[in-house]
Amino acid sequence: MRRGAPMAEVTLKDIVKVYGRQLAVRGIDLDIPDGSLVVFVGPSGCGKSTTLRMIAGLESISHGELRIGGKLANDLPSRDRGVAMVFQTYALYPHMTARENLAFSLKLAKIAPAEIEARIAKAVAVLELGPYMDRRPSQLSGGQRQRVAMGRALVREPEVFLFDEPLSNLDAKLRNQMRVEIKRLQRQLGVTTIYVTHDQVEAMTLGDKIVVMKDGEIAQAGDTLEIFEMPRNKFVASFIGTPQMSFFEGVLVQRGEEWFADCGSLQLPLNAVAYGQALAAGNEVFVGLRAEDIVPVGHGMQPNRYFAVEGEITLTEMLGNENLLFGMIGPLPFVSRMQQPRLVQPNEKILFHINVDRIHLFDRTTEINLKVA
Amino acid sequence: MAVNLELLDYDAIARRESEKRYGKWWTLAGAVLVALVWLVPFYYLAVSVFKTQTEYASGLPLALPNSLTPIIGNAVEAWTRAKMDIGMLNSAFYGVVGAGVAVLFAAMASFGLTRLNFRGKDMWFMIIFAGTIFPFQMYLIPLFFAYQKVGILNTHLGMLLFYIAICIPFPTLVLKNFMNGLSREMDEAARMDGANEFTVFWRIVLPNAWGPVTATFLLQFTWIWNDLLFSTVLGNRAETRSVMNSLQVFQGSYSSSGPNLVLTAALLASIPSIFLFFVLRKHFMEGMKVSAL
Repeated sequence: MRRGAPMAEVTLKDIVKVYGRQLAVRGIDLDIPDGSLVVFVGPSGCGKSTTLRMIAGLESISHGELRIGGKLANDLPSRDRGVAMVFQTYALYPHMTARENLAFSLKLAKIAPAEIEARIAKAVAVLELGPYMDRRPSQLSGGQRQRVAMGRALVREPEVFLFDEPLSNLDAKLRNQMRVEIKRLQRQLGVTTIYVTHDQVEAMTLGDKIVVMKDGEIAQAGDTLEIFEMPRNKFVASFIGTPQMSFFEGVLVQRGEEWFADCGSLQLPLNAVAYGQALAAGNEVFVGLRAEDIVPVGHGMQPNRYFAVEGEITLTEMLGNENLLFGMIGPLPFVSRMQQPRLVQPNEKILFHINVDRIHLFDRTTEINLKVA
Repeated sequence: MAVNLELLDYDAIARRESEKRYGKWWTLAGAVLVALVWLVPFYYLAVSVFKTQTEYASGLPLALPNSLTPIIGNAVEAWTRAKMDIGMLNSAFYGVVGAGVAVLFAAMASFGLTRLNFRGKDMWFMIIFAGTIFPFQMYLIPLFFAYQKVGILNTHLGMLLFYIAICIPFPTLVLKNFMNGLSREMDEAARMDGANEFTVFWRIVLPNAWGPVTATFLLQFTWIWNDLLFSTVLGNRAETRSVMNSLQVFQGSYSSSGPNLVLTAALLASIPSIFLFFVLRKHFMEGMKVSAL
């Protein structure tokens, strides 16, 4: 259901933000297609919120071009950009009822009362705000405030929705629920949406496209699977995916036609074909392994091509449907995901099958994925 | 279950809890004693306003009055002799307009100091606040001569200007601190909703600062209402005289009125302040709390 909003792709070109001499955002290039949901994710201080606030018009743009719906928006005031934002603290007006909160922007825009009523009614229907429209924010629960904040953005019928960590003040259960709801709403309305979060799970589950940021730059932009399967560098590999990828320091070794990553106590065979010409003997690398690619024998799907190794367990996190095993292969710490779990005792020795086809290699100095380089 | 909840001594628990909360009986006794000492002058006022001059002169000052009716005569005499009608009107004007304008200016200044970016922000605040560092009496003599020169001595305008000026710094301090604590995201939301700076101030920040605004307004109103020094020096004509100033007819070498009359006049003069406190007490108490949300 498109409401016939104008096309609103958002284009960022060489966007830079400086505070004095301090670089907060170091040149962002990004195309956000009309109607898509893009998630900016990264650790705190990576520039994701600053970038969002520049799009919102709450921060000036130091350098570069911002286009919304093809129109240069660098110097437009927020209210003329056709963007609406949902804030982390919801930022509802405490002295107004939910209804007045929704109506505020429309009244300022001198929209006819009948039209205001109609738009509010629509938002109420979509967000199921009905029962608490005449309450003040202080009389609403966190989740209800969240809905009102979304309603306030919705009634403006913006071309672009901006979300700044909107779920981080909610408890875990409500967060999951609202996440689904935001996604459903976005699909239903088809409005271009930019969503900022530090939570990679939220990013993975929400986004059509994920933009991983670090130190004011885009570390990688792509769809969920792409970023998970082909992380451009060690940062993205470690940031995306829970539990975190295990990394071993190693050196590439060639024996005849076979390639190995020599990690001291662990000699991992490599699928050399997948790397083309990228492998060079003597190269220092980080070997990256996701928890599900270190499979405890007898638990979960066994890989086609594997390398068997024994590990000693130091700690477990039993989650019911799976058990996360933290342990050591010789001196190398690792995490494994045990499907169809059983209770594992500390110091227990378990045989693991490492999935050889899913080993990630990163250059030790540049930290870039060898498959990309 | 190890504990039988049916057999718990709930009264003993309540007693222990309340002892913890309110302290032992001798703490209470001490507090009552201090309160009594504090209340003696009020008691003195309460009994004196019901006495005639002869009754007051013949009995002990703290003795109970013979009847309640003399207060009417006292009130009428005090009201007419001190010309309290003019004084009340003048003081109400100074208090409401003076404190009102001062707090509005202070709120605007606080908004600017907490929300807008301009050069020398902290310096401006220090300059505003410097007004309260020196004793107010310091301004007395220079102001008198300046007012004389400009020709606003003994005028309503002159009085009002002084009161507004003197009442800006303190509310600015309070409101600036309060507005500092108000969410910036709320302003940003309003700006994105299409509000300009004045709308943000007037329709978003000010309504949420209503508590401290009323509290500072009341404090400044009371200060103006109770001011004797400046109204005596700067506005001593009958038509500009404030109510506190007009009470001075009962003092001095030519006055022949007894304490019963003076106290009745003082009581009358303090009614409007007290009334205002009662009307605005909800907002006032809110203003005293640190606002959440």
